[in-house]
Amino acid sequence: MIMLAKIGLGIAGTLAVAGVYTFRDGVMRVDVDEHHAGGDHVHLWFPAAAVPMLMSAVPDRELAKASRQAREYMPLARAVAHELGQFPDTTLVEVQDRNKHVRVSTHYGAIQIDVTDPDEDVHVVCPLATIEDVTAQLAQAQPENPEN
Amino acid sequence: MSRNPGKAFRNTSLVAGLVAAAALLLAPFAGYAQSASGGDRWLHVRVVSTDADGETVSVNVPLELAEKVLPAINKKELHDGKVTIDHFDSDGVDFRAVLEAVRNAKDGEFVTVTGKNHEDVRVAKKDGFLLVHVTDNSGHVGRHHSADKDADNKDNKGDKHADAKKDTVSHVEVRIPMSVVDAMLGSGKNELDIVAGLHMLAKQGDTELVSVKDEDNTVRVWVDSKNAPAPEGGTR
Repeated sequence: MIMLAKIGLGIAGTLAVAGVYTFRDGVMRVDVDEHHAGGDHVHLWFPAAAVPMLMSAVPDRELAKASRQAREYMPLARAVAHELGQFPDTTLVEVQDRNKHVRVSTHYGAIQIDVTDPDEDVHVVCPLATIEDVTAQLAQAQPENPEN
Repeated sequence: MSRNPGKAFRNTSLVAGLVAAAALLLAPFAGYAQSASGGDRWLHVRVVSTDADGETVSVNVPLELAEKVLPAINKKELHDGKVTIDHFDSDGVDFRAVLEAVRNAKDGEFVTVTGKNHEDVRVAKKDGFLLVHVTDNSGHVGRHHSADKDADNKDNKGDKHADAKKDTVSHVEVRIPMSVVDAMLGSGKNELDIVAGLHMLAKQGDTELVSVKDEDNTVRVWVDSKNAPAPEGGTR
């Protein structure tokens, strides 16, 4: 009995530590709800720590292609993600009219984009650290001679 | 010493494991807790539209963020946090010359320029601030904006052309600390050093920088130490 309890405690402890480690960088969230008949409802939640791991599984050629396409904006995205983490939570941009509401804000080290529209609601949450990691990985994937 | 060293070791391991798990769990919030200290300066932009949709736009950016991010943008005229302007000239108004004139002028002395498109630009230096007042009459179609309310009422009574007669005069007021202007003009003849200007702006107190009012929109740009705008657009 005591042996079973020890094994159970070991498994539970391992799962707890693994869970905490997996979610240490926060959660990436994508929620899309289309309001028309037959509209899509997408709700994706996954650990942000998994994104760099998933990116390492992407073929080098595809990563280099993505890197080339995003080259112009990568330093900006990286600098913004890095610097935003230094400031308290805030609403960076908010646009509201009679029907629509768009908000870009920072919340607990993540950037949050909320769009509320008569046609659809979109909510995206991405930890700033993940943006930094992704841009760093894309920068590494950049070919030395981008013209080739 | 413990009478059961094995048990003591297990207990210590359990506590160490829990502490490690707690530390991992709280790690993402450590940066947040550190960052919540005050002292940051924020640039706010608020646009309120009075049209049927009643659109409002609110932008809040930490000045330090803008200072650090701008040099990362190198596109067209913007490079290394500076804007290159080949001709400091717009609609026949040489803004660099005007700024230089104001810079060297006495306090309260105005430079008035009338542009080609009926815009009046009045520039002055007062109490350490550069003041720019632009009145744009280019869209003016019938009468001056201060026409009396009776006339407005008459226009609104079933006159389909009322809209065409509405006031289209816009007013722009800019109030920038001279130290910021100096910093922006300091880099080169055909350049505006935006980063140096932001750096200097961060050292100033709460101030309203730009105010634009026309028939459809009200625009305000100001700097303060709050990371969110006041409910009704007040600066303080």
